Amino acid sequence: MKRRFFGKGLLLVLVSLLMVGVLAGTSLADEKVIKIGTLFPLTGSCALAGQRCRAAVDTAVEVVNNAHPELQVPLAAQEGIMGGYKIVLIHADHQGKPDVAKSEAERLFDQEKVWAVIGSYNSAATKPASFVAELKKQIFMCGCSSSGALTERNFKYFFRMAPTDKTESLEFVEFIEWINETKNADIKTVGLIYENTEFGKHAAEEGRKAAEAAGFKVVADVAYNPGATNLNSEVQTLKAADPGAVFGACLGGDYTLWVRTMKQMDWLPKVSLNYCTGYQDPIIAGQLGEDANYFMGGTGYAPEFAGLMPAVAAVEEIYKSKTDPSVPFDSDSIQEAVALFILAQAIDKAGSLDPTVVAETLYANEWESPLSMGGKVAFAPGGQNIKAMSMLTQLQGGEYKRVYPADLADTEPVVPMVPWSKR
Amino acid sequence: MKARGKTEGKDLLWFGLLGVLAVMPLIPGPLQGSFTQHVMIQILLYACMAQAWNILGGYCGQVSFGHSVFFGIGAYGAGMAVVKYGMIPWPGAIAGALIAAAVAVAISYPCFKLKGHYFAIATFAIVEICNRLFMVWYWVGGALGLDYSFSEPGWTHFVWYESKRGYFYGALLLFILVFGVVRWIEKNRLGFYLRAVREGQETAESLGVNSTKVKLMAMAVSAFMAALCGAFFAQYNYRVDPPMVMSLDMSMKFVLITILGGLGTFYGPLLGAALLIPLQEYSRALLGGMGGGVDLIIFGLLIIVVVVYQPKGIMGIIDGIASKMKRSEEGGK
Amino acid sequence: MGLFFQVALDGLFNGLLYAVVAAGLSLIWGVMDVINFAHGEFLMIAMYLSYWLGFIWKIDPLVSSLAGGLFVFLVGALTYKLIISHTIGKSAMSALLATFGLSMLLKNICLNRFSPNFRLLQETALGGKTFNVGGIIVPLPQLVIGIVALALLYVVYHLVKKTRLGWAIQATAMDKEAAELMGIDTEKIYLLVFGLGGACVGIAGGLLPSYLAVHPEVGGLFSLIAFVCVAMGGFGSIPGALLASLLIGLVEAFAGFYIAPVFKYVAVFGLYLVVVMVRPRGLFGW
Repeated sequence: MKRRFFGKGLLLVLVSLLMVGVLAGTSLADEKVIKIGTLFPLTGSCALAGQRCRAAVDTAVEVVNNAHPELQVPLAAQEGIMGGYKIVLIHADHQGKPDVAKSEAERLFDQEKVWAVIGSYNSAATKPASFVAELKKQIFMCGCSSSGALTERNFKYFFRMAPTDKTESLEFVEFIEWINETKNADIKTVGLIYENTEFGKHAAEEGRKAAEAAGFKVVADVAYNPGATNLNSEVQTLKAADPGAVFGACLGGDYTLWVRTMKQMDWLPKVSLNYCTGYQDPIIAGQLGEDANYFMGGTGYAPEFAGLMPAVAAVEEIYKSKTDPSVPFDSDSIQEAVALFILAQAIDKAGSLDPTVVAETLYANEWESPLSMGGKVAFAPGGQNIKAMSMLTQLQGGEYKRVYPADLADTEPVVPMVPWSKR
Repeated sequence: MKARGKTEGKDLLWFGLLGVLAVMPLIPGPLQGSFTQHVMIQILLYACMAQAWNILGGYCGQVSFGHSVFFGIGAYGAGMAVVKYGMIPWPGAIAGALIAAAVAVAISYPCFKLKGHYFAIATFAIVEICNRLFMVWYWVGGALGLDYSFSEPGWTHFVWYESKRGYFYGALLLFILVFGVVRWIEKNRLGFYLRAVREGQETAESLGVNSTKVKLMAMAVSAFMAALCGAFFAQYNYRVDPPMVMSLDMSMKFVLITILGGLGTFYGPLLGAALLIPLQEYSRALLGGMGGGVDLIIFGLLIIVVVVYQPKGIMGIIDGIASKMKRSEEGGK
Repeated sequence: MGLFFQVALDGLFNGLLYAVVAAGLSLIWGVMDVINFAHGEFLMIAMYLSYWLGFIWKIDPLVSSLAGGLFVFLVGALTYKLIISHTIGKSAMSALLATFGLSMLLKNICLNRFSPNFRLLQETALGGKTFNVGGIIVPLPQLVIGIVALALLYVVYHLVKKTRLGWAIQATAMDKEAAELMGIDTEKIYLLVFGLGGACVGIAGGLLPSYLAVHPEVGGLFSLIAFVCVAMGGFGSIPGALLASLLIGLVEAFAGFYIAPVFKYVAVFGLYLVVVMVRPRGLFGW
């Protein structure tokens, strides 16, 4: 008996040694190749978002590398960039952990010899990973991490596509002022509900600042631990304070639980405005069905925006073939595709693979970006995309309707939200 | 005479190992790779963490899931010194380690009257409580965490950017300290007391061992060293936040590595780390990008297989080989 | 005052849910002295099963919960046969670590097979339904889970205390060798206990998708809370686990509402520490 166990143990050691050996031998040598790393949470609690982001970057590479004359996107018609260079992606998983993100970023640069990294969804992971890139004077493209602090570090090689939670908070407050004026919404108070993580806390802080600056009173500040088994006390606290507007930063499963719990407790604010969260995930909206209606949020892209962003639909078909045919782009993942498109354009334009030159080119120009709302991307010192826009949408009849700013809107917002009893 | 020879053999192994480790980053070739060095640093760091845990969990038999709290306090010590006060990390690390030892004694004193699983659950309740409190304690950064900014690389600030060699020797120093202390404890009266407590508290008491005092001492030493490891971790990752350092996940690593290597053995923690860490890092590097969690599936499977088929850990496997060789030698005669 | 009772009711319902998750754990723990770290993942498996049955064949979670119970009974029995049986009689830590590995394995297999999507059933018999009693809102899904929990706990308690099988289980728990001498097949008892423990959590998990989204990480916090419930009640005591779960549910709700939601688990885990400081073997421990 004992011998058999021992044999198995030995086998395991051998297998692990073998794996080390295999790894040491892998190296890719090709002349006209630019290696770019992606670093997203492919496992763990943010795996869903991470896997979509990775697929979005894959999509952009597919478009850049091959001739797609049918697409109205820069670089689509030609094959590769800079006279035939192809982009090769190396994917990595940071599991949502900052320490893993840091060491994986180092591995991507040092071991895999990638030329730039795109990532990393979680702001807490983007921070150390982009710090590594900055030290190595290599470019780090960030699609959708929303913490404002990222672009306040004066990094020279860091670029972020998405609007920050600060921009969104200001937009929320503007919207409330607008409906107070035009629709007699009579909203004076604001409540915050957010997951107690780097992302949620930061969003809530910005939300509080923006609301208080405009003279609104923050009457409820509800932080909860993500992955909750119930959100009863959280919703009960909101209900007791009864704010006119709620700013929400609840991701994924917590978002559905939050909506369902509010329904159980038969309470709704007049308006519910959500940061880039569970709200803008079309799958979650679909699963909530009727219950998801009349919630609002900042949205960078939704399939209903086709009129506004005509070039996206064709690219989206490629994206769907890489994930799940029923999953369109969402506001987060599309930004990661933008990140790759902009980087590829900058390399192409700079005509050089010197990161410093490309970074300077990135700063010096305004970029065509049909996948961004507004169609343009340009960077301020620190790397924030100053052309980043998002608009407010409201789910009506299961569709993301554009409601604010008024000049881009296609539908009137339903304010206040229709109470549960009347649905 | 025979016993003496055995001791010398042990010394030879220990100093030989240190020698090999000391020259490892200087050998040209595959060991120069930055990722390889990262793996070696991680092995040393996790070996130290596991050894710190081993003092209490292995030698003394008190299974604690609470070590990430002490680890976290150490990490916050260094992080606060650097980020909040703009100092060098050393005084922060020492202060963190002392605080961790004090906290450990304060919370274990009442907890030690709990037996077995009640103690284990109590320690992990403490981890959850501390994690949640640190998440809302904004003086230490709360959920936003503490982020390092650029400072002069070198031993003073204990950060290196270009090469990882500095970190490697830092980890090696930590390794010498932690393993050295345990070697000393093993040979000393305290080691004997610890084992006596593990074998049975009542028996130990009857031999005149003050079991509470012994356990508290083990706890303090163990927490102090876990906190030093935490400080190193913060310096290495340029960031501290509660889920990184003060979580059940982190606590499990202390326990897992020790048990995988061999509970209550001197080289067990090192062997456990040497198996688990490369497996974790290389499988993630190789398979993690596929996104199916394949690396973690393999990892989980491996833990099950090792535990089920060799519950004494890798040291058990090695003992198995040794006794087998001995037997065949004797058979040969 | 209405608010006070509302909070209390929500707390009690959550407590009952924790109780049925904890009951399975308590049984296993009490009889075999094994901490099953994969308990939360057993819950997750049942939730997935119930979700897929509902999604593909439109079977209501009320019905699928039976299938969930049966399926996780098998998973539990298999876990015992393949893993736990090898660790009996060895170091107490080995079973814990093996189940930790198992939890990692199950979580990531589900991630791999079902993707990390959050999945929620629409249009279930219970989903979203509530009724109003004197100004207090009673949610139907939680009410049903509460009733099922009480019934299940009663059945398990009765089984252990009043039946021949139960006596055999108790004998095995007290002294394995003596039980064997008396002709009890302890191997079979262990297998059954592990299966039963799984069945309890399986039934609870089967009901959950009517209001809680399923995803690979859903079990984590449940198993943590279940550990605390079991230890607080006293290992192996089902009434203890019930009482502890209700207490925890109430403390969670009251601390969450009257102090702050971020502190609710600080209060829950703090309660455990206080209880074991006063009673080192839990509320009903011996």
